[in-house]
Amino acid sequence: MRPLKVLVVDDTLANAKLVQSVVDRLGHRSFLAENGQRALELFETEQPDLVLMDVMMPVMDGISATRELRERLRAGKRWVPILLLSALDDISDIVRGLEAGADDYVVKPVNIQLLKAKIQNFTHQVEMQEQILQHTTELERWHAMAQQQSELGSHIMDRLINTEGLRNTLVSQFNIPAETFSGDLICAARTPDNILHLLLADATGHGLPAALTAIPIASAFYRMTEKGFPIASIAREMNLKLREFLPADRFVAATLAAINVNDQVVEVWNGGNPSALLIAENGALLKEWRSRHPPLGVLPAAAFSEQIEAIGYQEDCNLLICSDGLWEAENAEGRRIERDRILALFAATGREQHLAGLQALVQNHLAGAPALDDISGLLAWIPIERRSLPRVAAQPERSHLVHSGEWHLAVSYWAEELKSLDVVPALLDLICQVPVLKPHKGSLFIILSELYNNALDHGLLGLDSSLKAGGGFELYMQQREASLARLSEGRIDMSFWLHSTDNESVLDIKVSDTGPGFDYTRYLDEESLLKQTALPHGRGLALIRSLCSQLRYAGNGNQVIARYVL
Amino acid sequence: MQITTHSANNQTTLALNGRFDFHTHRDFRSAYEQALEDAATREVVIDLGGVDYLDSSALGMLLLLRERAESMGKTVSLTRMQGTVKQVLDVANFDKIFVMKG
Repeated sequence: MRPLKVLVVDDTLANAKLVQSVVDRLGHRSFLAENGQRALELFETEQPDLVLMDVMMPVMDGISATRELRERLRAGKRWVPILLLSALDDISDIVRGLEAGADDYVVKPVNIQLLKAKIQNFTHQVEMQEQILQHTTELERWHAMAQQQSELGSHIMDRLINTEGLRNTLVSQFNIPAETFSGDLICAARTPDNILHLLLADATGHGLPAALTAIPIASAFYRMTEKGFPIASIAREMNLKLREFLPADRFVAATLAAINVNDQVVEVWNGGNPSALLIAENGALLKEWRSRHPPLGVLPAAAFSEQIEAIGYQEDCNLLICSDGLWEAENAEGRRIERDRILALFAATGREQHLAGLQALVQNHLAGAPALDDISGLLAWIPIERRSLPRVAAQPERSHLVHSGEWHLAVSYWAEELKSLDVVPALLDLICQVPVLKPHKGSLFIILSELYNNALDHGLLGLDSSLKAGGGFELYMQQREASLARLSEGRIDMSFWLHSTDNESVLDIKVSDTGPGFDYTRYLDEESLLKQTALPHGRGLALIRSLCSQLRYAGNGNQVIARYVL
Repeated sequence: MQITTHSANNQTTLALNGRFDFHTHRDFRSAYEQALEDAATREVVIDLGGVDYLDSSALGMLLLLRERAESMGKTVSLTRMQGTVKQVLDVANFDKIFVMKG
């Protein structure tokens, strides 16, 4: 027990001395004020822990002084006990004193035993009060810190989410956070060949911890999408990153989707999230992508599966990806939102109303109750591409500067590497380190993807591209996967030659495979080529034609040379 | 949540009852630590029959248990999942991580 500072207020010196001696003998420190006015002054300068106050005093009496002291203390949100000393026949004074804010009283003449006991009691109370104050201060400090962290988390999440991809008019999103901000991450971005990548990630927990796990995920998503890696590889990379630095009990449920409007295909990787839904304009459910994998960050690299599920679509449709917060939100009766209600919403309203309708549905369901989990959703409208040619990455300004140097690169990939590597994004990354080629990344990606895919799919794997037409896309993908798994020999050679000719800088791209080739003469006259553009498999070739100044086949049709003018 | 421990034939069963969520952290941890420290225990079985709710932090706790058990050369299995508990485990594909015993 620490010694208290005790302010004794009394105008009669003999009384004051008596009280002070009691205080001093208990091990506390006392000091004297001879009236109420003086008590107020000393109270400010000495900051006592306890006040022993006489009632009848000149200048300012004890009742007035008590009232003034109590007001000051209340204003400062503090408490210091005030003990009144008063003659027994002044019972009305005592009542007034207690009403004025005194905590207790002792009648005069003072009984020393009683005074001792009361001082002891107040000593305990003062100690408890100090402890509570200390805890409160600590709690306030923690609260301020939590507030700061929450703001940091909110800032990070905003920065991660607020990017170009989501300004896409076909993509919309909503977010109803459980705390001040949501831990659900939503991202959208396009690959160089115009495939739209979407991500909805739901980390364990909310607030800053959730934001922390979102950082490596978002950066992998944007970085790899920009380079043109497929979602399966992006999922693998995210899993690896999270495994590296998250403790075992933290993970991230994630859905990755790729929308390819050229081929009319939607691909999804879903690990730990509720089903992604592909919904027709009439509300019919075209496809449900269930969670096929554990969440990201759980499995070691060797056990990770990048298996995706693809579907071809033949009509305008909507892709809906939601966090579990949506499906688990319970209304007052403990009921959840049924899927049929959401499908009905799509059937009943036009696409402009879908997002608002969904949000209203959730808000009505919750009916003002707070969300217990972050509720977020990502909605993409997928119209059938009606142009005969897909949009192409923006062309850079022709510089008219002839590249003075030359640059050459030749690479070969054998069967084992063809099975496992993302050849095009990796190669493009290398090519675009040549400064004059960098601005042409988008076009080069498209050209290289088409040429490489043709060499692999048709040259080495012998797949029939006419399968893709008429809704046979899944079958095509199955055959491709099976053939690729069986591939034991074969090679694809690619070479790149940057040089100048006829006052132009050009990049010659040559791709050849060890397959049997094909009768390329069929595709060479422009007339028959244009007829092919209505079909998914014919578009690729037409696209290359539109980007390159020359495209010619050689050998048995297993060699192709494209010239791109910078 | 209540946890009842039962050991037989090198197998320790932790039967959970009630809500399995963040607030269970300390109890669950001390229960499985105790089970794993027992040299006779080769396998820890988590009986979820009495669990009516399980959230993502519970999934995290199961993963922690699994990591701890593996480091000691012991195995973990889950049993008697039903209703929403089974749904949550299905969505997380925990059958690819844990042995599931009906």
